[in-house]
Amino acid sequence: MEAPPVTVMPVTGGAINMMEYLLQGSVLDQALDSLLHRLRGLCDNIEPETFADHELVYLLKGQQGQPFLLRARRSLSHPAAPWHLRYLGQPEVGDKSRHALVRNCVDVAASHSLPDFLNEMGFRMDHEFVAKGHVFRKGTMKVVVSKLSRVLVPGNTENTEQLSLSSLVELSVLAPAGQDTVSEDMRAFAEQLKPLVHLEKIDPKKHT
Amino acid sequence: MGVTCVCQVPVAEGKSVQQTVDMLHKKLEQLGAVKQGSFWVDCETYHATGNTSGQPSKLLYVMHNSETPLSCMALFEGGPCLTADVNFDVLMLKLKSHFQNAKGHKVESRGTRYRYCDFLVKVGAVTMSSSARGISVEVEYCACVVPGDCWNLIKEFMQSFLGANVPELPSVFATKSEGLYAPSDCMDTMTQYLELFSKVRKQQVIPGASVR
Repeated sequence: MEAPPVTVMPVTGGAINMMEYLLQGSVLDQALDSLLHRLRGLCDNIEPETFADHELVYLLKGQQGQPFLLRARRSLSHPAAPWHLRYLGQPEVGDKSRHALVRNCVDVAASHSLPDFLNEMGFRMDHEFVAKGHVFRKGTMKVVVSKLSRVLVPGNTENTEQLSLSSLVELSVLAPAGQDTVSEDMRAFAEQLKPLVHLEKIDPKKHT
Repeated sequence: MGVTCVCQVPVAEGKSVQQTVDMLHKKLEQLGAVKQGSFWVDCETYHATGNTSGQPSKLLYVMHNSETPLSCMALFEGGPCLTADVNFDVLMLKLKSHFQNAKGHKVESRGTRYRYCDFLVKVGAVTMSSSARGISVEVEYCACVVPGDCWNLIKEFMQSFLGANVPELPSVFATKSEGLYAPSDCMDTMTQYLELFSKVRKQQVIPGASVR
């Protein structure tokens, strides 16, 4: 057994502040197939990639200020894959002409003890849902078309109820802070999806 | 990842931490062990703020191991533990209003890594705020994952360079109910380091034991 000698400091990729650029829209189920067809033509995937995820949203109520929100997501189609924990910061208030919603994003891969661990830290699950759909990629851009379902019995992902007759469409890019051309590229791509879906910058504060 | 045992070795009578570490290195080299780089294990302590129930706030330990440089292990003593990637440290920074980092409590063990056939031996000087507090020895038998099967062999190997300072069966192995299998992540190893670091934190500072 030859292990490499560990003489250098490890890679700590967490030092860079990553930002998520986001545009959202929705498409009625009747138009879903046309949208998927167009995305298949425009994007890099050879075969469309489907997913089925279970997301739990956890809140930590502090003494003051807003509760701290974390999203824990696991794959229902790959149960052995690690959990994905995501923190999203407040949207950057800046240039109103910036085309996409920009917020700080921290993504952590975690082991399967994540829900118990978050509970021990003081987080409490606020709500959970199941998201099923397709993922497309074009360069650094990711397009996710998902159907969201409400979980009726906590923890039971078999028994779900669809939230609406449409699918959520999200166009996002993860990039280090300060890259301003990203939202331009996203806007240009979003133009190509009109009139099937109108992707816009949606302020999450207006919808809580 | 094989069965790993972590123990604390007392500083030799009349010697400093570094001198005792050097003595152990010499014994290992005499046995025929080969130096294979260095290692470090560290442990940071966070305590939950905003605890209104009057109970002592829970301590969260975040540990790193040079064997798994892209991972982070987070543990509650006697509670659940989590293996995550290094972005967990960034997340703890975001959580600083809820979890405060007790910077003075960071404990580290640094030293040389030796390989002897199927054994990996790591002898480290345990430091807290730049003062040497003790010595840790980690012995991994890479060929086996069942502690019950190889504990006697590990003990015998440790006797050859630790003499009388050989530890008892680590409590992490004694408490496993089914089959005594060591898991493939290094949580058992990190739990043992945590126990050692907790002991070291409570010990008094060894006089004249500055690392410099």
